[in-house]
Amino acid sequence: MATLVDNTALGADALEALITRLGDPAWLAEERRAALRTYDATPFPTARDELWRYTQLERFAIDALDLVERPVDATVPERISMRITDSDAEGVMVLKGGDVVHADKRITEAGVVFTDLRTAVREHEDLVRKHLYGVVSAGHGKYAALNAAFWANGTFLYVPKDVEVELPLGAFTTGDRGGLSNGRTLIVVERNAKVTFLDEYTSEPFDDRLVNTGATEIVLGDGAKLRYVSLQNWSRNVVQLNTIRAHIGRDARLESLTVSLGGDAARAQVEVRMDGPGSESEMLGLYFADEGQHYNQYTVQHHAADHALSDLLFKGALRDASSAVYSGVIIVDPKAQKTDAYQTNRNLLLDSESNAVSIPQLEIKANDVKCSHGSTTGPVPEDQRFYLMSRGLPPEVAEHVLVTGFLYEVMSRVTLPKVAEYVERVVQAKLGVPGVREKL
Amino acid sequence: MADMTRPQDHPDASKLEGMQHTKQYDFAIPEQYAFKSEKGLSKRVIEKLSYYKEEPEWMLKFRLRALEIAEKKGRPKWGPDLSHLNFDEIYFYIRPQDRKGTNSWDDVPEEVRETYKRLGIPEAEQKMLAGVGAQYESEMVYHNLKEEWEKRGVIFLDVETGMKEHPELFREHFATVIPPEDNYFAAINSAVWSGGSFVYVPEGVEVDVPLQAYFLINAQSMGQFERTLIIGEPGSKFHYIEGCTAPTYNSDSFHSGVIEIIVKDNANVRYSTIQNWSHNVYNLVTQRAIVHAGASMGWLDGNLGSKTTMKYPSCYLVGERAHGEVLSIAFATDGQHQDAGAKMIHAAPHTTSSVVSKSISKGTGRSSYRGLVQIHEGATGARSNVECDALLLDEHAKTDTYPYIEINEKTAHVGHEATVSKLNDEQIFYLMSRGLGEAEAMALIVRGFLDPIAKELPLEYAVELNRLIELEMEGSVG
Repeated sequence: MATLVDNTALGADALEALITRLGDPAWLAEERRAALRTYDATPFPTARDELWRYTQLERFAIDALDLVERPVDATVPERISMRITDSDAEGVMVLKGGDVVHADKRITEAGVVFTDLRTAVREHEDLVRKHLYGVVSAGHGKYAALNAAFWANGTFLYVPKDVEVELPLGAFTTGDRGGLSNGRTLIVVERNAKVTFLDEYTSEPFDDRLVNTGATEIVLGDGAKLRYVSLQNWSRNVVQLNTIRAHIGRDARLESLTVSLGGDAARAQVEVRMDGPGSESEMLGLYFADEGQHYNQYTVQHHAADHALSDLLFKGALRDASSAVYSGVIIVDPKAQKTDAYQTNRNLLLDSESNAVSIPQLEIKANDVKCSHGSTTGPVPEDQRFYLMSRGLPPEVAEHVLVTGFLYEVMSRVTLPKVAEYVERVVQAKLGVPGVREKL
Repeated sequence: MADMTRPQDHPDASKLEGMQHTKQYDFAIPEQYAFKSEKGLSKRVIEKLSYYKEEPEWMLKFRLRALEIAEKKGRPKWGPDLSHLNFDEIYFYIRPQDRKGTNSWDDVPEEVRETYKRLGIPEAEQKMLAGVGAQYESEMVYHNLKEEWEKRGVIFLDVETGMKEHPELFREHFATVIPPEDNYFAAINSAVWSGGSFVYVPEGVEVDVPLQAYFLINAQSMGQFERTLIIGEPGSKFHYIEGCTAPTYNSDSFHSGVIEIIVKDNANVRYSTIQNWSHNVYNLVTQRAIVHAGASMGWLDGNLGSKTTMKYPSCYLVGERAHGEVLSIAFATDGQHQDAGAKMIHAAPHTTSSVVSKSISKGTGRSSYRGLVQIHEGATGARSNVECDALLLDEHAKTDTYPYIEINEKTAHVGHEATVSKLNDEQIFYLMSRGLGEAEAMALIVRGFLDPIAKELPLEYAVELNRLIELEMEGSVG
C-alpha cells in the first residue's frame, strides 16, 4: 500500500508569502498559521485508517506540486460559458486558479452578499470572521487542515434573515494549470431565509496534474432553507478532495446533492449535524465512474437534536475497471429522541473489472428512533433488459436506458431541470450513447 | 415465564424474582485442580503446557510460532474496548483433576453435575441427546457417543484425544481454516489452545441427532481457549451444538476459542451455539468454515452473556454453488457490549449467502452488528442478503451497525438492510389490556422478535433460549 509523503513546498515560507500576497488581516493570518501547525501535526491518512481503508491513497498524493497562484489566462473556458447560458443559476461567478474571471451576479434581494471569499474578507470582515472555520476546521483531517491554511479564494454567500432569494446562484471553479489549488465556500443562511446554490467544478483538459481541495461550510439558522448542489465534472487530469459540512438549526432544511462524474479521482465527505429540533436534511448523491476513475463518498448524518429528520440516497454506476467507495454513518446522540434517519446506497456494476464497496453504518444511542439503512449492489436487471430488447431496442441501447433510469432516481428528486439535464447528458456521453458530446 | 399471579403492585416483586434467579445462577464451586499454570502468557507457560499434554513436537513448534505472531500483531485497534483485559492476571492453562474422559454419567465429577442441575439442563438432554461432551475447565471429561455412530465411522472426541488417535487426519486439517496469522486472538488461541472437540463425519454419513458439547468455565481468572475442528466429508450431514454457561466471578475472565469447520462437496453442516458466559468474561472467538462445491454451512450464533463479545462467524464459499448462512442473536444488558456479526466470502460462481441478525439492547447495553460480504471477481451469479434488526428497550441502550460490502463481480446481487426500533407501546398496551403484566408483555414481544431464529433451534435449545430471555427481562420494568 502506498504511503503519502509530505509536500516540502508547503511550509511556513509558502504560507507567509500567501498571506502577504492576499493581504490577509491579522486574525486570518493567525488562523492560517494555526492551521499549518495542525497540518504539520496531522499525519497523512494510511490504509489503516478506517475512513481511508478502501481509498487508493496514491491517487490523492500532493507531493511535488506547487501551489496554484493564478491562472494561465483569464478567459472563461468554453465548457463553462456553455453551462452559464444553459444553467438554472442566474447569478453566476467563475473562479479560475483563484481569480474571479467572470461575475454576473444578478441579485435584487436586499442585504444578500454573493461574492468571492477574498473580497468578502475585505468588505464583510465581521461576517466572515464570525463563521469561517466554524463548520470545517483544520481539525477535520489532513486535507482539511491543508485547505484551512492555504485556501486561495472561493465563494461567500450570505442571506440575511427572512430573505428568500428567488433565482438560484452558482459558482464555477475551474483551472488551467497543474499544481495544488485550495478553494473554500462559506454559505450562511440566516433565520427563515431561503436560497439555492450550485457549486460546479469543471475544466477543459490540460496537461499537468491538478489536485483541488475544497471545503464547504454551511450554516443554516432556525427555519432557513438551502438547496445546495456540488457537481464535479473535472477533466481527467484533475483530482478533487472535498469536505462539505453543514450545521442545521431548528426547523431548518438542507437539501444537498453531490455529483461526481469527472476527474481522475474524487473524494467527497458530506456531513450534516442536526443541531436544532425539527431540522431536516435530504442528502442525495450520484456518481458514475468509468475508465479507471476512483470515487470515494463518505457521509455523516449526526443527530445532535431531537425530532430531526435525515434522509440519504447515494446511487452510483461503475464500469471500465473503475472503483467507488460509499461509506456513511448515522450517529444518533443519547438526547436525540424521535429521530428519523434513513440511509440508502445503491450501486450498479457494469463490468467485473470494477469494484464497489459499500459500508452503511449506524451508531444509535437513543431508543425512540426510526432508523434504517439499505445497500444493494448488482448488475443491470436481466429481466428489464430482456423486456426492452423484446420491444426492439438493441442490447446497448437497453443498457443505456436502464443505467440512465437507475441514476435518474436521484435527479428526479431535485427540482433543477437544467442541472438534471446536464447530468443526464454527461452520463449518456460516458455511456457512449451516439450523438451525445460532453465527454472529456 | 414469570408467575402470572404475582402481585404487580408490590414494589419489590420484580427484584425478588430477580434474586431467586441470581441465587440459582451466580455460584462458584470450589476448585480442585491437579495442575494450574502460572498467570500470564510466556514461552515457558506454553512449553509446560505442551509437556503436560504430552504433545508431538510439531504442535509445540506451532504454539511457539503462534506466540511470536501474536506478539508481532498486537491487539486489534478497532471494535470494543479491551483495555481492561490484562493477560498478566489470567491463567492460560488449567487441567481438571480427572484427566481422562469417561463414558458414564456417574463418573462425571459431582461439581459438574451440580452445575448442570442448577442450570436445569441434564434430564432432558441426557435422554434426548445422544452425545454429551462436557468440557469442565480446559479438557473434555465426559463423552458419550452412540455406538452406531462409531460403527459408521463418525469420530466425536475431545480434540486432544482426536490428535493422538487420528494424528494424520488431525494434522492434515488443523489450522488450515484459521492459521495463527489470521488475527491476534486466533494467534493467542493457537499458542495456548486446550480442549475443544474433534468431529469427523465420513463421506455420505448423515447424523440425525445433534452432536453436542457443553462447555463450562470454572476457576477464577482462567482463560479458556478451546479449539474445535470439524470435518464433514463429501455428502455428510450433521448438526453440532455447543453451549456455554459460566458461573460469575470477581475478576475478568477471558475466553478465546477457535472453531474450524471444513465442509466438503455437497456436505451439510450446522453449528449452533448460545453463549451465556457470566458478565465478566471477554468472549473473543474466531469461527470459520470453508465451504466446498454444492455444500451448505449454517451458523446459529446466540450471544447473551459475557462482558464483551467479539464474534463474527464466517463462511468462505470456495466451491461452486456453496451456500452459507448465519443467524445471529445478541442480547446486551447493563455493561455488556455484544459485538457480533458475520462474514461471507464469495469466491466461486453461484455461491449464495444469507445473514439474519437480531439484536436487543437493554439498560446500558450495547449491541453491534459488524459484518463483511465480499464478492470476488469470477464469482458469477453470487447472491448475498443481509438483514439486521435492532430492538432498543431503554433510553440508554445503544446499537450500531457496521456492514462492509465489497463487490468485484458484475453479475452478483448483494443486498443489506437494517432497521432500529424500540418496543412498541401499543403492543405492550394491548397485551396488558389482556391481563399480562408489563414485564410479561415485554418478554413476549422480545420473544416474538427473536422467533425467526428461535424456531431454527432444536426444541430443548429454544426452550433454554426463551428461559434465558425471560431471565434477562426480569426487573426490566420500573
